[in-house]
Parts: sequence; structure tokens; C-alpha cells
Amino acid sequence: MIQAQQTMSDLKKLGSITSSRDIQQLTYAMFPGTHCPLMGAAMAVRGIQKAVLLVIGTDECAYYTKHMTLHSEEFGGVQGRCVSAVLDTRDVTFGCKEKLDAAVAELMEEYQPPAVFLVTTCVVEIIGDDMDAVAQMYTKQYGIPFLSVHTEHFKCENHLPGIERTMSACFEMMRPQEKNNTVNILGQRTGRFETTELYRILTESGIKIGMQLPCGCSVEEIIQAPSAGVNLVLDETALPLARKMKEAFGTPYIRFERFIDPQRIWEAYQMLFDALQRELPPQLEENYKKAQKCVEQVKEKLFGIGYIYGNTPFHCLELNAFLCKIGMIPQLIQTAQIEPEQEKDYLQEILSKTNPYVTKSANIAPLQSLYDVLHPHLYLGHEYPARLRKKGMAVVRCDAASSMLGFEVTEFMLSQLANATEEAHQYQKEVGLR
Amino acid sequence: MSLTRFLPTPSDRMGILWSLLALENCVILEYGPAGTTHFSIGLFHELGENQQNRLFTTHMSEDDVVMGDVTRLEKAILEIDQNFAPKVIFVVASSVAAVIGTDIKGVCSYMQERVRARLIAFDQGGFRGDYCAGVMETGKLLAQEVALENPEVQENKVNLLGFSMGSYRAASDYRQLTYLLERAFGFQIGACLCGESSIDAVEQMGGARLNLVLREEGLAAAKILKSRFGTPIVTGCPYGYQGTLDWLEKIADRTGCPIEPAFRSELVEKIQGAAQYPMYVRMLKQDQARAVLVGEYHTICGIGRFLQELGISVEVSLCTHSSKLIGKPSEQVVFSSREKERLDMLHQKHRCLILADDASRCVCPADNTIFRISMPVIRGAQIASHLPLMGIEGADQMLEWVEEYLQTLR
Repeated sequence: MIQAQQTMSDLKKLGSITSSRDIQQLTYAMFPGTHCPLMGAAMAVRGIQKAVLLVIGTDECAYYTKHMTLHSEEFGGVQGRCVSAVLDTRDVTFGCKEKLDAAVAELMEEYQPPAVFLVTTCVVEIIGDDMDAVAQMYTKQYGIPFLSVHTEHFKCENHLPGIERTMSACFEMMRPQEKNNTVNILGQRTGRFETTELYRILTESGIKIGMQLPCGCSVEEIIQAPSAGVNLVLDETALPLARKMKEAFGTPYIRFERFIDPQRIWEAYQMLFDALQRELPPQLEENYKKAQKCVEQVKEKLFGIGYIYGNTPFHCLELNAFLCKIGMIPQLIQTAQIEPEQEKDYLQEILSKTNPYVTKSANIAPLQSLYDVLHPHLYLGHEYPARLRKKGMAVVRCDAASSMLGFEVTEFMLSQLANATEEAHQYQKEVGLR
Repeated sequence: MSLTRFLPTPSDRMGILWSLLALENCVILEYGPAGTTHFSIGLFHELGENQQNRLFTTHMSEDDVVMGDVTRLEKAILEIDQNFAPKVIFVVASSVAAVIGTDIKGVCSYMQERVRARLIAFDQGGFRGDYCAGVMETGKLLAQEVALENPEVQENKVNLLGFSMGSYRAASDYRQLTYLLERAFGFQIGACLCGESSIDAVEQMGGARLNLVLREEGLAAAKILKSRFGTPIVTGCPYGYQGTLDWLEKIADRTGCPIEPAFRSELVEKIQGAAQYPMYVRMLKQDQARAVLVGEYHTICGIGRFLQELGISVEVSLCTHSSKLIGKPSEQVVFSSREKERLDMLHQKHRCLILADDASRCVCPADNTIFRISMPVIRGAQIASHLPLMGIEGADQMLEWVEEYLQTLR
């Protein structure tokens, strides 16, 4: 079995992290490992109606990407718009252009897509075929946008760059437009924007929603995206695109991530309505007070509760900073990225209360040995509940928050935390920890 | 082959991985970007393979790719050896490691003295053919490197070679083969390359009485075992009633053990029952009974023979993998690397019995009678382990399909 004490002694604590490179893997042999940017690109193209995802890579990359889309209604299942050009040794030696030409010709004849995303994989990036130039050539030849998305995993940590690059690639399709007062939604990676409090607030205030990238839009909407008055950035993967649009079309952007701290949510709403030159709807103040009350109600119950932070739909440090603020104790944070300069407020909040271990995410196999040493109450993210129960721990299920934004996030998450804490107390009794 | 619309044929590396995952007492370490390992979990889970503490990845950074730094591979090997103490650690190169030319075998060679586990390297990386090549290479390496020089003699054990967990109904077929060998001869399965077996069993496989080569991919391993231990070989797969009896007769001839008489009688009775079918087919007034088969070579050949015994003509046999490993492929089998050609062929079929994979099933017109005999599974899941394609129970099931099909004809 894995020696937990040895593993922990190799880990760094949050206070000593100076950049993402300082974050150690829990072990050198990992399972399951992070997702790759190819998957991220597929997730992003899924929401762009009728656009074709053309994977250029090995049988394996093509197989797994198609496999992922088989049950996706948006992709169209087995006969859907995820296709591939599979490379063999000849293509690796002499370049894949010839094969790609033939594949694209077949694709254009059968699918007649409004846009094609040429998604490269590790091997294509190593052999150095110039997919940007190839995409430009096809764009001229076929008269529709061909966009290259680079997804080599050896240059990044997880799937998020794939989402980011796919969204950024869409910039090439955008054309200058006359401005109106619509709001573009950038970076809703999972879940639906239409179910969120933010959506309700905007529509009830008479504000029209423009392009929603990547959670559901057409190529035509992408072309017309510069007509929006404001870009709303829901996730940092959308920041590069928002910056490009600001520079090229003068579209301002507001960051409105999936925050949990009511104070931060209130500020984000204020910035948004300022940018739209509108009064804040009165309902928001009510929601704010309700969320604050909710915090006060569960604070005592959650005080002193220790947890391991895994993979959630939230901003990692924002959530941890807020939980520290209400007296909870992060014992281990799993994340691929920490930017001390940009995230110093969050770091200060956490480090003023505690100094948790930090490790890279997606390595749950060796993580299990740490449960017996750290004895946390909760695990935030994806783990097997039955396995945790045997260790006196409860899982906090957060995925439903993917379809939430605004004060509803606070209420949902606090309720999940309170319920899981009750479960954990029960489980700790079962295993003799209380 | 240019545009792939559906799932491509799995690579040699995928075949290696699902073969190794079928063996206990070993750990598989992939040297490459982590995403491939994470992405593969869904497929291996569908094949019924447990990956917990069995499969690991090192991940790979740009430094590793540009500078050829293998430090993280070395450390991962040491860590697995210390934490899990497996008998064997299989180090499998990713496509990236293969393209940049990482000397995986060299790393295993100099790391060997630092670990207790046996280190065995696979450096194919997904570029040396399809999964059949991977299944073959795995069998060869296990027969050469893992089978012990002086095994215990096991007179009542036979090995299975060329078995693939990537085949549709592999677990059910394994159970059926176990049943047939036990009922007919009182034999047990020693090692199975590769399915439901262990490193312990592979170590002792040189002591088995016979090697049963189920498909061509197992032949190279069988030859190695014959040369190392003198183990005799029987080739072929038991599909259909007559095919099952023929297969058992070959085993009886080679081992000198007769088929248990009562079991033989049961099988002969089944053969006689099925002999009525050509008459039913001839009684059709308007239609002809025609079948289209899509799948792995040994499966479509075996099932094709059974259908012909029943009086159903096999119009098309499409093989889903390459013919490279097949000595003299049947002229009746089509090996087309062009997906479009295969799809066009299937589009045109009407009122046929179509036995195929799910991707092919999607493009066949609805007036056909369609059942699944090969991977991939797209609709639903493969859960049961009592629904084989091979042996008596496999033939029983196919006869039910044939009944259903004949009822659609006039």
C-alpha cells in the first residue's frame, strides 16, 4: 500500500506556492490522470450547432473522442458531427496534409457544415504540420471557416486549454457589427445558462442575451457576437477571447464566475449593471440578504469541519477562501493552477486561517491513503461515496451548481455542505472516529 | 482511408492494454500524456476490466518531450514496485513516447536491478497495426518472458491463446469454453492469453497439456510455447453445433482423450435438430434467406459456416480489422480499409439477417433483421456473462435469431 506519511512529506503547503509549477503530484504514477485538451475542445465544439469537429490524430485519440460523443444528443450520436482523420506511420513520417485533403473533401460533400474545427493532437504537434496554414487554405478553398485548435497535452495540465483555445479560435469568425444592448455569455462550460438566477435577472430586466459560447450557439451568432454591449465572462477559460474582443471591437467584459461569497456576487451584479448603464433590480438586494442570512444559519454547524477539495464547478480559491471565512478547514486542495499574484486576496483569506496541503488533481488512487492520516469530514468533488463512508467521510455533491449563477449558488452549496456534514458525523460514529 | 465517421479500428496499443488488464498480479504503467489514460477508462470499463490499482500513467511534460527526460518514468516504476509489489510491471509507450523515440526497453533494462518486479516494455505506441497486432504481441511477450522455464506439469489443463477481451461477449465465451472443456474432457483452463487470467497462471503455462489457438493472433505465442515446452497446438474456434463438435474432435485427436459419450450424444442431437433448417429455408415461396456478417475474422467465418449449414447464404462477410495476421484469408471475406465502401455496401442491403457491430447496424435499412456479434457496443451495454457466441449456447442463441429472421420472410 501507499505510504501516506511519505507521500505527504513530499507535498507543498499553500503558503509556499509561488507558481503553478510548485504544485506537486501526489505520486509519479497517477490514476486516472487529468483529462486532455482534446476532450476540452470536443466539449466546446459540442455547443456550437452544426459545426464539425475533425480530430486529426492516432486511432486512439480518434476512438476515445468519438466514444465520448456517442451518447451526446448535441453531437448527433454515432452518425454525428464528430469525425476524424486517423494518422498512420506514413502520415507521421511524411506529414498528414494529403490524408487531410481527402478527409476534408469527403466531409464537405457529406456534412455541408457551417464551420469545421481542425483539432490537432499530441502527435500532430510533435511532427510539426502547420495546421494554422492548412486551416487558412481550406477556408479559402471551401468558403467556410476552418479553425485550427491545438490540443497537445504535454504542454498543459488538463482539458481546460482545449476549451479556451476552441473559444478563442471562434474570434476568427467574428465580424464588426453595429452595437446593441445584448449581453454575450462566455465560458458556460457545463450546465445550462437558462436555468440560472443570473439569466432570470437579466431577462426580467429586459436585457437580451446574445451569443452563448460554448454552451449553445450557432455559427451565425458567433459572427454577429461583436454587436453585444457587454461580454459576461463566467469562467477564466473565456478570458482570452473576451480580451481579444475588447481590443478588436471595444466590447467591455465583466467577470461573473460561479462565486459562492454573497459579497462577491453582489459586487459582480453591481459591475454588470453599471456596464449596462442600468439600475440594479430591487430583487437583487433581497436575494443578497437572503444569502447572507443563509450563511449565518449554517455557520455554526460548519465551523471546524475539515475537508479535502477535489474537482468542482467553482472557482477553486474563491470557494476555499469563503469556506475558511465561515470557519471550515481545507486540509488538502487539489488544483492544477494557482496564480499567487492574481489570486492574492483569496490566498490571504485562506492563509490567515490555515495552511493546507496542495497537490495536483485527478489522482484519486493514491489519495485514499491520506484519508486515514488527515481524517477530514468531507470530500468536495468526485469520489466514491461508499469508499468515503468507510473512512468516516461524506461526499459533497456540487455538479448541480453547473446550472447556477448568482446568490442561488450560495444557498445551494451551503445546504449541500450542511447535509454532508450531518452524514459525516453519522459515518464517523460508524467507524469509531467519534 | 481518409475520413472516419464512426469509431476507428482500435490500435495495437489499445489491444495491448486490454490484454494486460485481463491479467492479475501485475501493474500497467503508461508512459505518456495522462489524457489518453483517463480517456481510456470508459472503454476498458465497458470491456469489464478492473483498473483500480492496475493501470497508471506518468503524464509527460514538454521538457520530457523536448529533452527526452525519463526521470518521471523511473520514479513511477520505483513507486509502483514499492507501493503495490506486483510480480510484473508492464511499461507501455504512448504514441508520443513512440514518436520521439523514447527507449522504453532501455529504461526497463537499467531499472530492473532497482526493483523486485519484473519489468517488461511495450514500445509499439499505436503505430504497428491494429489491435490484433497488439493482442499478438502481448501473447508473444508473455509466452517468451513470463512463462517459467520449469513449470509444474498439469495434465488436465489447457491454455487458451489468441483470446481477446476486446471481442464481443468475451466473458461469456470464456465461460462457455470452460464448460465445453470440462464436460467433454474434464479439462480446466490453465492460462488464458489474455482474459480472466493471472501472472501466476501464465508462469505455469508451459506445464499445460495443450494450447488451444482460438484465433490467428495466438499462433505466434503457441509456436514459442511449442518450441520452449513442446506443447502441442490445436487451432480454431467452436461456432455452431457441428463446428463445436469438430473442434472437440480435434482436441480429442491431439490429446488422445475421447469426448465424454453422453455429452457427445447431446451435441449430435443438436446437430440433427439444426439439420431441419435448410428444408424450412427451401420452403420459402418468395424470399431467399440471406445473411450479412460484420465482425472479427474468426467470428464471421465461424458463424458464416453455421449459417450455411442452416441453409442461409452469406452474401457479405465484412472483417472489421486488417488481414495482416491471417495466413490465407478466405476469399469470401472482405477486408476494406475504406469506411465509406463498407457503409455503402451495408446501405444497400434489404431483408437480410445482419449480424454486425452497432456502428454498422446504424446504417442498415430497417427492413433487415439485425443482431450484434461484434464490438463496439453503442446501444445499451454488455453485462451478461452467460450469452456466448461460441459453443452450444452460442449456437442456441443464433438459432433463435434465425427463427426470428425466417418469420420476416415469405
